[in-house]
Amino acid sequence: MAFVNIQNLTYKYPLTKEPVLKNINLQVQEGEFVSVIGPNGAGKSTLCYALAGFVPHFFKGEISGEIEVDGKLSSKSTLDEWVLNVGLAFQNPFNQISGAKYTVFEEIAFGLENIGVPRDEMKKRVEDAMSLTGISELADRSPYSLSGGQQQRVALTSILVMRPSLLVLDEPTSQMDPIGTREVFGVVRKMAEEGMTVMMVEHKVEWIANFADRVIALKDGQILLEGKPNEVLTSDVLVEHGFGVSRYTSTAREAKQRGLWKKNNLPVTLDEAVQGFKP
Amino acid sequence: MHERLSFHIKRDSFLHRLNPLTKLALTLALILLAFTFPWYWMPHLLALAAIIPLSLLGKVFREFMLTALRLIIPAAGFLFLMQAFFQPVGADVIFQFYFLDMTSESVLFAFRNAMRIVVMVSAFTLFLLTTHPSELMSDLTRRGLPGQFSYVIISTLQILPQMQTKAQTIISAQRSRGLDTESSFLKRAGSLIPLIGPLVFGSLVEVEERAIAIEARGFTSKHAKTSLHEIPDPAFDKSLRWVLFALIIASIGLNIWLS
Ligand SMILES: Nc1ncnc2c1ncn2[C@@H]1O[C@H](COP(=O)(O)OP(=O)(O)OP(=O)(O)O)[C@@H](O)[C@H]1O
Ligand SMILES: [Mg+2]
Repeated sequence: MAFVNIQNLTYKYPLTKEPVLKNINLQVQEGEFVSVIGPNGAGKSTLCYALAGFVPHFFKGEISGEIEVDGKLSSKSTLDEWVLNVGLAFQNPFNQISGAKYTVFEEIAFGLENIGVPRDEMKKRVEDAMSLTGISELADRSPYSLSGGQQQRVALTSILVMRPSLLVLDEPTSQMDPIGTREVFGVVRKMAEEGMTVMMVEHKVEWIANFADRVIALKDGQILLEGKPNEVLTSDVLVEHGFGVSRYTSTAREAKQRGLWKKNNLPVTLDEAVQGFKP
Repeated sequence: MHERLSFHIKRDSFLHRLNPLTKLALTLALILLAFTFPWYWMPHLLALAAIIPLSLLGKVFREFMLTALRLIIPAAGFLFLMQAFFQPVGADVIFQFYFLDMTSESVLFAFRNAMRIVVMVSAFTLFLLTTHPSELMSDLTRRGLPGQFSYVIISTLQILPQMQTKAQTIISAQRSRGLDTESSFLKRAGSLIPLIGPLVFGSLVEVEERAIAIEARGFTSKHAKTSLHEIPDPAFDKSLRWVLFALIIASIGLNIWLS
């Protein structure tokens, strides 16, 4: 039995005419790192909200189908129980700062206070989470004084510290530089290795190719393609549907048409491209 | 950019170490004694023999005096003049300004009222200078104040300066596109309308996202909450609160009994 199991999920916001998610079927294994790609408005964030329980418990609207995580059905749970098992961090870091806390350390502890973790354990868990994501030196800063990328790390840490069994991340590196992005992918990979199941919406396909186990391409609320990162990310179907692809893939595709790319598979990352172009 | 809206000054002092509820009780006691104790010189005595020593004990004498000079004394002075001239009591005129009379009774009356205000505002100032808002709120939440209530207080204190910064950003952005913010008031008021949209609508979206973010971190969880910081409440604090409570009761009792 899959750890995450979405069956025939169709969902419409109260204010949209058409469904935003259309008949989604998706299974994710425990400890798997799945990445979701798709153009603007494809429904990626909505899918994240659905997994994290906010669709439909927070947004209301019309829903059919079932979402099951760790043997529990979202439709049979309340939001405050569901969030203990499924953690969500999303794109805009500024709005994820609770506003209730004056330092980064307190900000990260906020979730643990809410669920009643004893003080000593709380401190330990906050320290561990901060050193994992590399923000220990920000502990005493005001969350509002940080850069966007730093705030995104704080948002991620604030969720990691709660140790959800499913981690849902909606463009968590959008304001980060390449170093920050690599570190976040590294941390997420590590969490997956330790058994956390991860679902991450991302645009940065080269990083996905290096770190994710599987890629899901979403378009107009439907799953267009799904499979191993290199297969999905180099597929011609993506180009036809206006997805962003890696520059190495497009270069190699061009080269292939002119007979300069000899391999069968197209590359996603620089390394693969270099390998492929070697005489 | 303002980081937050708070008067708190981080120091290590006797006052800082008192439990927030004790400080709240102390503030209340000072105010109620100044207003109800049936002795004319009580507010004056409190100002000299309680407020000033407390500001020294709290190691915030300088900051307190700055607030007093800039805010408390001018406001109380204004109040004093208004009441001294306009209070129609007594016949013993000691000073005249055109048709306005100042009698010795009205001066005494105004002086006491002004000192009461001085004690009240000073007590609050000392409280704010020596108490961290989140410490106060955690303590009150632990004593049964609903978590939502303290969240609203603290987040407002923090988010207001952020909104101010944002409004400033929007104004600069609109001004760079030719928005007039410097001519006559009415013209300006009219031209500020385009700012309302981004500020309010932006805030609504932000409110929704923030609601999701804190919910995702168990804000409405039914577990009993814990607190990162331990806020000590030793026996000394508890006894002090009882003493203050007794003083308040005695003062109010005396006031009723003598009237
Ligand atoms: N709260 C809402 N109420 C009504 N409609 C919404 C709401 N949120 C999103 N939508 C609509 O649902 C559709 C899917 O939006 P969603 O945010 O899930 O897309 P996305 O794939 O995350 O896009 P992006 O890449 O821009 O983040 C869009 O047409 C959007 O306008
Ligand atoms: Mg989105």
